[in-house]
Amino acid sequence: MTMEALLLAPVSLGFISAILGALISVTDSVVNNYGEVDININNGKKSLKVKGGSPLLGTLAEKDIFIPSACGGRGSCGACKVQVLSDVGPHLPTEIPYLTKEEQAQNVRLSCQIKLKAGIEIQIPEALFNIRKLKTKVKKITSVTHDIREVLLEVPEGTDLPYVPGQYGQFEVPPYDKIKEPTQRAYSFSSNPNDKKHLEFLIRLVPGGIVTSYVHQHLKEGQTINVVAPVGEFHVHDTGAQMICVAGGSGMAPFKSIFANMVDSGEIDKREVWYFFGARTTKDIFYLDWLSELEKKYPTFHFIAALSEPQEGDGWTGETGLITDVLHKYLTTVISEGNKEGYLCGSPGMLDACMAVMRKNNMQEDKIYFDKFA
Amino acid sequence: MKMSPEFVKAEQNMQPGVITADGFLGDDTRPLVDIIDHDEESMVKLGLEFETLVSKMHYLLEEGQKGLGEPVTVDGQWIVRTDEARGHLPSPFEDGIFRKVNAEVESLENGKPSGKKLLFTDLSLHLINKYHFFEGKGSAFRVDPAQAKEVLHL
Repeated sequence: MTMEALLLAPVSLGFISAILGALISVTDSVVNNYGEVDININNGKKSLKVKGGSPLLGTLAEKDIFIPSACGGRGSCGACKVQVLSDVGPHLPTEIPYLTKEEQAQNVRLSCQIKLKAGIEIQIPEALFNIRKLKTKVKKITSVTHDIREVLLEVPEGTDLPYVPGQYGQFEVPPYDKIKEPTQRAYSFSSNPNDKKHLEFLIRLVPGGIVTSYVHQHLKEGQTINVVAPVGEFHVHDTGAQMICVAGGSGMAPFKSIFANMVDSGEIDKREVWYFFGARTTKDIFYLDWLSELEKKYPTFHFIAALSEPQEGDGWTGETGLITDVLHKYLTTVISEGNKEGYLCGSPGMLDACMAVMRKNNMQEDKIYFDKFA
Repeated sequence: MKMSPEFVKAEQNMQPGVITADGFLGDDTRPLVDIIDHDEESMVKLGLEFETLVSKMHYLLEEGQKGLGEPVTVDGQWIVRTDEARGHLPSPFEDGIFRKVNAEVESLENGKPSGKKLLFTDLSLHLINKYHFFEGKGSAFRVDPAQAKEVLHL
């Protein structure tokens, strides 16, 4: 082979690659060009014209319609369900594990898995139209335990974000380290909705967790954070029934919001509230002073904290054992008969265990409320 | 070593942003089969059986879940904390879906936390058991065989 041929070979290869690349690009734009497509929401209540080709979840978000999602559209949380009234093809294998038989029959779909190739008609709860993306400023970060941070955010001036205690927001952290895209996770508000200027979250460090690691290791006061809110259906039912509330760790958040709001409205004086909080040691308990104060001030409010593994020298004189065992003890021996409602916040395992105890103690399953997003 | 189509697809699924935001390979640039091959060699050198390792990890995950989100002392030798999130994670080998549960196991020395920890998920157990895949170096959920031996007292 001549020197000339040796020099020309890489140039020719590069040229052929460039032509192939251009061909692929042109083919892709022709084959995958779906043009503009229509999204008809709730029988014409909202109509959108959007560029086709992307998943429904992200396309709706670009138009400020936010379907709750806990995994950022990777099809691993099963939260972003919408009912599709038009034909978008059969359910995908990635959707089936998250849908009941009834949901499949009603053509409920995961909006992150449906690619918009043509016009589509969907049905979503009207409440989702109220969800917005806010650019907030981190006002204060407080470590309330060794692994839980209270994050106080300032909402933009003039923002009116009505929410009910128990609802949550999607907290979005920017790309960092190896994480190349913004990541959202759902956390209950711990703030009192009457404070219109702030939103507050309690965020517990989860080992290996993308958002919680960011909050605990990188988040700074003064920084801007996007929050998508308000989301969720967990709220206090206005029935006057005794409230049996159970939480552990950062599951404290919705109850802080609920109790603060009940103090403001005067409801806390009128309704029997039992709040069970589980922790491992005294270093995992927080807001003890505030909750003890509520208990002293309002005879209808009862706070029962239980430590599963009190340490020597803790000086703990309260309940010990798993919170479910303590709950069972109180339901059988202390809390009076009568109408009861359960309010729970925690991991799916914790919720299941509490529900089993409540059912065993004749509490009606349809009167036990929670958001299973943890 | 040449990879089968199944492994090529799995390696694609392990990239950041596909199944999880940070992926399964960490900073490891080696082909998937080489990562597995190297960890299999380490297991032999350490005298560890896959079945023994997975069985111990499974036991600690189950015990940890009894704490309902709070850390639990198991057999006086470990503190185990499990966290559970909504939904499931598909296996990168596309052979099942797994609960989003992770366990952090810290060994105790003279009853006190030693600082030696192991972090793994429900999916990790499947990947180690079936494919001998411990995740790439630098991955948050990599189970290093030597570290596992030390923390789990094997």
